[in-house]
Amino acid sequence: MTMIDIEDKPSSLWRDAWRRLKRNKLAVAGLAIIAALVIVSVFGPWLSPYDFLSQNLDLRNQPPSSQHWLGTDDLGRDVMSRLIYGARTAFMVAVGVTIIAVLIGVILGAIAGFYGGWFDRFVMWFTDITMSVPQLLLVVVINASLKQPISLWMEARYMETLNPIYRNTQIVDFVLVFGAMALITWPPYARLVRAQVLSVRQRPYVTAARALGLTNRLILTRYVLPNAMGPLIVAVSAGLGTAMVLESAFSFLGVGVTPPTPSWGNMISDGLRVWTNYPHLLAAPAAVLAVVTVAFNFLGDGLNDALNPKGQK
Amino acid sequence: MTALLEIRGLAKRYDIRLGAFGEKQAVVRALDDFSVDVVEGETLSLVGESGCGKSTTGFAILNLQRPSAGSVRYKGQDIAGLDEDAMRPFRRDLQIVFQDPYSTLNPRMTIGEALAEPIRFHGLAPKGEVPARVARLLEDVGMTPRFANRYPHELSGGQRQRVAIARALACQPRFIVCDEAISALDVSVQAQILNLLLDLQEKYGLTYLFIAHDLAVVRHISDRVGVMYLGRLAELAPSQALFAEPLHPYTRALLSAVPEPNPRAPRNRQRLVGEVPSPLNPPTGCRFHPRCPLARDICKTTVPDWREVVPSHHVACHAVTGPGRTNWEGPA
Amino acid sequence: MTLLDIKGLTIDIARDTGPARVVDGIDLAVMEGESLGIVGESGCGKSLTMLSLVGLLPNRIRATGGQALFGGRDLLKLSAKELRKVRGSEIGFIFQDPMTSLNPVIRIGDQIAEALIYQKGLTRAQAKDRAVELLALVGIPAPEERANAWPHELSGGMRQRVMIAMGLAGNPKLLIADEPTTALDVTIQAQIVDLVRELKDRLKMSVVWITHDLALIAGLADRIAVLYAGTVVEDAPVDAIFDRPTHPYTRALLGSLPTLAGAAMERLPSIAGTPPEPGRRPPGCPFAPRCAFALPSCREAVPKLQSVPGNARHKVACPVMLEANV
Repeated sequence: MTMIDIEDKPSSLWRDAWRRLKRNKLAVAGLAIIAALVIVSVFGPWLSPYDFLSQNLDLRNQPPSSQHWLGTDDLGRDVMSRLIYGARTAFMVAVGVTIIAVLIGVILGAIAGFYGGWFDRFVMWFTDITMSVPQLLLVVVINASLKQPISLWMEARYMETLNPIYRNTQIVDFVLVFGAMALITWPPYARLVRAQVLSVRQRPYVTAARALGLTNRLILTRYVLPNAMGPLIVAVSAGLGTAMVLESAFSFLGVGVTPPTPSWGNMISDGLRVWTNYPHLLAAPAAVLAVVTVAFNFLGDGLNDALNPKGQK
Repeated sequence: MTALLEIRGLAKRYDIRLGAFGEKQAVVRALDDFSVDVVEGETLSLVGESGCGKSTTGFAILNLQRPSAGSVRYKGQDIAGLDEDAMRPFRRDLQIVFQDPYSTLNPRMTIGEALAEPIRFHGLAPKGEVPARVARLLEDVGMTPRFANRYPHELSGGQRQRVAIARALACQPRFIVCDEAISALDVSVQAQILNLLLDLQEKYGLTYLFIAHDLAVVRHISDRVGVMYLGRLAELAPSQALFAEPLHPYTRALLSAVPEPNPRAPRNRQRLVGEVPSPLNPPTGCRFHPRCPLARDICKTTVPDWREVVPSHHVACHAVTGPGRTNWEGPA
Repeated sequence: MTLLDIKGLTIDIARDTGPARVVDGIDLAVMEGESLGIVGESGCGKSLTMLSLVGLLPNRIRATGGQALFGGRDLLKLSAKELRKVRGSEIGFIFQDPMTSLNPVIRIGDQIAEALIYQKGLTRAQAKDRAVELLALVGIPAPEERANAWPHELSGGMRQRVMIAMGLAGNPKLLIADEPTTALDVTIQAQIVDLVRELKDRLKMSVVWITHDLALIAGLADRIAVLYAGTVVEDAPVDAIFDRPTHPYTRALLGSLPTLAGAAMERLPSIAGTPPEPGRRPPGCPFAPRCAFALPSCREAVPKLQSVPGNARHKVACPVMLEANV
């Protein structure tokens, strides 16, 4: 009997998706902007022309100039340097929050969808409860009730150990912001993963894996989850953008990152107060935030098309 | 002739809720009182129209859908309803091939990974020998080992179905359920896969439960054929006897509905009126009676017995007493 | 009289890598009152050929050449608006899947009436009456009551009857049935086949029946066109196809067909390999790589349809078999 052979180059689904993504100009533009954001946040200290904290009270509220490309703020700080550090904040918060939220969402959603039963009902009930609590209120409550005790505890630890790490108030900020935001952003991920798992679980290749006698854990991690990931990747891309906006919103409202740590949100908040006189103080951070958010959405749309090709074979 | 599987009274019921608030409860009897001995080395086919329970039977035998009642004896043990851990040692021997070639393989795994999985999991070969095993499996189903690093979407439907067969073979099984395994393929590819299944049966002494709706295909490959209607066996006989002399009125109607590749075939064949009723609310008595040309009062009230009217030819019908003999001619 | 005359039709799929040809120069005619069967395996272009006539090709797939003359017009050159008119009243279409081809939120009587109001300018009351008539015509019991039923209340066979009623709504001269029984059980399939055959005679229309099932088409068609990889390889009256199949592909297809009559062979003769994918058709005759009779010359030029000696209506695209005269 003659054997059936194959000649074309091998291609995997991920590689095909990447090829499709590369053809989408908007998605590539979005990816480029996000890559720039990552570079800026990682190499910020070396890239920024000035220290984001150094004040120059002689040069307050300067319009853009050759020394200060984006001008200076009301304390004479270089706006560009603050934007670059703000990128750092935004990026760290977005990534940190999304990682935590996705981890919670994937674990709860996958187990609930795969095993069903009482755990599924419990997770869905818990998700509904979390989603029905007003998000802003929850963050304000967490901030108001936990910030002071944690700060006091840190202060006490510093007195005991004299370890400078306990003087770093940024850590408290980040932990609180991460925690609070992750707490309100995980439910959509859990729902999405659960729905995906429920549908993938029915596919014949999963039944075939059961017929081979494989254990549930193996089936879940090697057969179900990898095939449930597509929509999650799209959601994560959009979610990163949303997390940045959320962080800015909370900083704007004064429940996010505390000044003087620069955040686009508190820069917008500061700029808003003086925007009639110094519009560049509002325009610069607002424009950056808008561009980055749009970039994440373009990438998300591109990923969606690349991972779920329609009208193609 | 030894029975590989002794199936007795196998049944599958689904409880469902109806109405806007799930206030009404109903039971779907997908499979009722299925009893058959599957003989070692044979090809036993189950045929019938959609909703007749033939696929459910395959799933229930393999315990992929937990049966609601009945027993499946294999190697002296009843495996019906065993939990996954207890079932695992038996899974190796009892395999399945599905219908849809496009979803039968994990799209994120290469063909090689898919075939290596059961070998590794069950420890069927030392680690170093797994790739050679995979290569041999591919050759068994007529493919070169070069397919091992390919993904399913690069393969045609027929090639995927070959891989699915190779995956079932990886465990060195004794029994394979072919659940409409060729129904989704083109005619010319169907014949290839059928012949492959027959080659493998000879080579490895496999026993097949072949589930199909295409009677012409079934006729060519089966040793015995069971005809199902609405969750029950209507007739079971050696293939030749069934096609030469069908006894149950449903089998006759089914056979006469199969188109013949002959433009001069007589056209005034027996036509069944109406359609298969919903399994949610199956007819009382003999489930076929509302469409049956021979139906009488007793058929509406009493479920017909499963009788061996000719040696090894079973039928469940009040009207049939033997080959060509019915209790009455036409409806009363 | 020729009702529909397709000449040199080509259809391309727009791929990332450039256009891929799926239909490669099909010539096909349908006579008035004739029932033509188009047979081929998946991907041979049988459905696309017919969809292209009424402007229903999927995204990224376009008719790129040839013509399709119907009632003195080239269907391929009509505007979307004109095609809509043709679809409603002159060419009726029945699709494969009766489960998804009906709008689940509109009562079936209204779905049929909708088309009539729009196409024929009937009043709502007239259209409703006509819808009930049509439901009766396709053998739906108690049509007045069924007209008020929702699609999900009907079984698959009943839904396919409703689809046929919709296809007949505009009194078409040509009814195109695209594998209308593939999704149905065999006993229901037999009912639908009987129905279409009866309707064709009663309404004096032409029917094009697209299928992969040679056995099914045997009892249905006056003439059969066998398609392979986007070309017509054999076109002949139904008796000639089954009595004297000439193209090697037709022969192999018939040979690999399991039947209920005759001896039950264990092994069925099969055709090795698979049909070529669009865009990677081999040079010359597309069947040559799988053909037992192929000569080196087969791989050079695409063979043209030629009449078999002694039967002008029996055309085959295989010079090798014609010369051998077997």
